[in-house]
Amino acid sequence: MAVMQFEHVGDDLRLRFEAMASRNEILVACHDEVRARAALDAARREVLRIEAKYSRYRPDSAVSRINAAAGSAERVEVDGETASLLEFAARLFELSGGLFDITTGPLRHAWDFRAGIEPGDEALERVLPLVGWSQVDWDGRSVRLPRKGMELDFGGIGKEYVADRAHAVLAQSGIGRGLVNLAGDLRVLGAPVTGRPWTIAIQHPRVADATCASVLLADGALATSGDYERYFVTPDGRRCCHILHPRSGRPVAHWQSISVIQPSCAAAGALATIAMLLGADALAFLHEQGAAYLAVDQAGCLHRHDIGQPTF
Amino acid sequence: MAWEEAAVAATESRVGSVLAAALLLPGVAIPAHAESAPEQGSVEVQALDYRDWQPGLQRIRVQAPSAHVLAPIGSRWSVEGSLVSDSVSGASPRHHTAVSGASRMSERRNAADAAVRHYGEREDWSLGAAYSNEHDYRSRTVSGTYSWSTEDNNRTWNIGLGHSGDTIGSSDDPSLHAHRLTWQATAGVTQVASAADLVQWSLGLNVGRGTFSDPYKFPDIRPDHRNQATSLLRWNHDLGALDAVVRLGWRFYGDSFGVRANTLDAAWVQSFGDRLQLTPSLRYTTQRAARFYVDPVYSASLGEPFPPGYDGQHPVSEDQRLSAFGALSAGLRVDVKLDARWRLDASVERYEQRGSWRLGGDGSPGLAPFSARWFQLGVACSF
Repeated sequence: MAVMQFEHVGDDLRLRFEAMASRNEILVACHDEVRARAALDAARREVLRIEAKYSRYRPDSAVSRINAAAGSAERVEVDGETASLLEFAARLFELSGGLFDITTGPLRHAWDFRAGIEPGDEALERVLPLVGWSQVDWDGRSVRLPRKGMELDFGGIGKEYVADRAHAVLAQSGIGRGLVNLAGDLRVLGAPVTGRPWTIAIQHPRVADATCASVLLADGALATSGDYERYFVTPDGRRCCHILHPRSGRPVAHWQSISVIQPSCAAAGALATIAMLLGADALAFLHEQGAAYLAVDQAGCLHRHDIGQPTF
Repeated sequence: MAWEEAAVAATESRVGSVLAAALLLPGVAIPAHAESAPEQGSVEVQALDYRDWQPGLQRIRVQAPSAHVLAPIGSRWSVEGSLVSDSVSGASPRHHTAVSGASRMSERRNAADAAVRHYGEREDWSLGAAYSNEHDYRSRTVSGTYSWSTEDNNRTWNIGLGHSGDTIGSSDDPSLHAHRLTWQATAGVTQVASAADLVQWSLGLNVGRGTFSDPYKFPDIRPDHRNQATSLLRWNHDLGALDAVVRLGWRFYGDSFGVRANTLDAAWVQSFGDRLQLTPSLRYTTQRAARFYVDPVYSASLGEPFPPGYDGQHPVSEDQRLSAFGALSAGLRVDVKLDARWRLDASVERYEQRGSWRLGGDGSPGLAPFSARWFQLGVACSF
């Protein structure tokens, strides 16, 4: 059972809870405590609902059913929400030139981040044939993974989608001002003209408990993709992070982190991840997409566009 | 970029194409309320003390207590209203900056307004009425406003229409019962330009017919119509790292009397934690005189206060407010939030007007410097 905790923070009511293997918080303006608590609880339940539905670790989840049928002739029918997420994934694959790929799950089996062991070329070559959205047989209603061992993983879009959904639940509950923060992927609710913006600090990619910039957000979303969440350093000093290139199977290394502001968190998260995968071409891509961003390169230098104030 | 625009753009180019794809996800594009109905009511009481003077003459003093009430009704409606009672005392100069002959006056003005507002999903509208009464002047106004926001709430449009009817009397001339009718139209747009920038532009047009002459000034003959236009451009920039907001504004005013005025203002809103805010501000105005404003040069035959060529028919005014001048004002406002319910504010402003401070032309000569100051204290409570 997730730990749930309400507390007053100034004029706001905050709910902290654990879900998706991370600590999350939702804040809403608290003029009416009963309504605020009900809205927070409804938003938390929505987070838990989606977590359960798309968890790879639950055998009964929508994604587990699809993965379990990999390599067989069975087409797995999906519901409307899953179909929307698969359509989104298909579109991201296309827009990113094949970089954003929800089939990279098998690569994670080759990489043991806990033990910090870098796989050899041979090990990667064994799993790379199992990676590639273009192999997936998706007709808009049902899906089939043609090779045994292939996997879909909604981890790359799920958390950001959940932030958007929790935001929608708050809005439907009549909340005028709120903040959904799912381990750094966030969406705020408010009217920009009259509302006080939220001040959002962006995690420093190299110094734990430090921030590298702050951003004011009255309405919209911010998502960050970074090389500091799960990583290890090889004996010869190379940092291996969990963002893996779908073609080489190896970690990206151009940026320490990229944060993107968009009206929707799903869009912000996808843009941040694609930008990390694009390496040197990231900023041109973000410009092309009309996105506000803050990127930290390997030297620790900030690259900003339409975003925030550095705090160091 | 607005979400709808993003979706359209994505079909033509790659701009915003990732966003457009995300917006197809269920619930992601759910509209937030454009301007949500207030969840709390509030009562605010203020006291204003205004004084203006010229060398050797304490002119007008205004003391005005006022009260404002805002109350939500359900989640979609609110009503608000205010009351103000001005007591005005002092000397009312009849022409230019003349001291001799200035009559002493003591007046009370009572004014009230009320409005009802409805908040929709993406739009809100309001209807309001205002009434102002002093013994020689009465004004009634009805007005309506409508505003709506784009789906991402980054742009808000507003329009408004009002109509006023004024009745003008004079304690110097009990037979005076003059009237004036004015239509007022406004339109504006507020755009969130970035996470830290808000830009606002609004346009106001007034069309007035009736008596515009000031019965307390002599000689004062003004045209029987006055059309006014105001353009206001504002830019608020949030300096997040400094916990401050810079507010800049440019206002242009022009009317059919021939007055043209440009005003630049700048304010620095500095927060110190959640409870204290200090706002120093500066404003500069430069104004061209009305076409029929006459300098203090008097008729050789009639003498002061009659201008040369005075015929009692053609427009003429010696009202200093219609002269050409430049003016500077500086102010400081303090806002203190005592707790979640109580707020205090105090402000002081000092205003100095000189003919020679006009930019872009000569100021009106021969006028005494004009100075004013305001003190205001307010207390507000949410409930």
